Amino acid sequence: MAENIIGASNEDDVGIKEQDRLLPIANVGRIMKQIVPPNAKISKEAKETMQECVSEFIGFVTSEASQKCRKERRKTVTGDDICWALATLGFDNYEAPLKRYLHKFRELEGEKAANQMKATGHDYKQEEEEDEQYPLKFSLIGRNQQ
Amino acid sequence: MRQAGSYSGILMSGKTGPHLLPLARIKKIMKKSGDGVKMISGESPIVFSKACEMFIGELTQRSWMVTMQGKRRTLNKEDVASAVMATDLFDFLLNLVSEDTFKSS
Repeated sequence: MAENIIGASNEDDVGIKEQDRLLPIANVGRIMKQIVPPNAKISKEAKETMQECVSEFIGFVTSEASQKCRKERRKTVTGDDICWALATLGFDNYEAPLKRYLHKFRELEGEKAANQMKATGHDYKQEEEEDEQYPLKFSLIGRNQQ
Repeated sequence: MRQAGSYSGILMSGKTGPHLLPLARIKKIMKKSGDGVKMISGESPIVFSKACEMFIGELTQRSWMVTMQGKRRTLNKEDVASAVMATDLFDFLLNLVSEDTFKSS
């Protein structure tokens, strides 16, 4: 089912960039629905506009975070950088809940990585990022580190 | 010891669990933001998925208030544009929504 492109069925189609630069309209619409009353309606155009706004938001915040990394001569944009950028750009009420969320994620990740190492000696995180090299702190490749 | 189920729910790339937005797509959008963004930690898209939820929530809430002021029950794109224009925080969206409104007229 084509979300934004008439006739497109293959997400791998090189010519169709739309699906790459926007979040899926169904997901965006679902989040919007959680806000409005149950009997409210949301026009398709409003969802499309929201898709565009979210992509712009991601780009806007990522740019700010990436500039900070460049200034500090770091190569990798981290979750902390995103939190910092959000606060800097005025989204300071996002910062605390996101930091809690990130903290929880890191806790779980630490446990999982430890379990993975014990089990296979393989750095599971390499499955998440296809084309990136890992900064040293994530390189938990089991080389007799125990 | 945490259970594998709830943990993999948090980590799975957009398939299941608490993420409402696909992480791989978020990552693609981040990379296109320019400024030579090359390396992104695995946790960044996860932070963004939450941040985007909050952002969509806030903008939707403000848009809906405009809809209600107009005594309507359908949130339309002009409501989103109005909310953007009325909120300093969303100044970075001004060009986007005015282009949008322009397209339809």
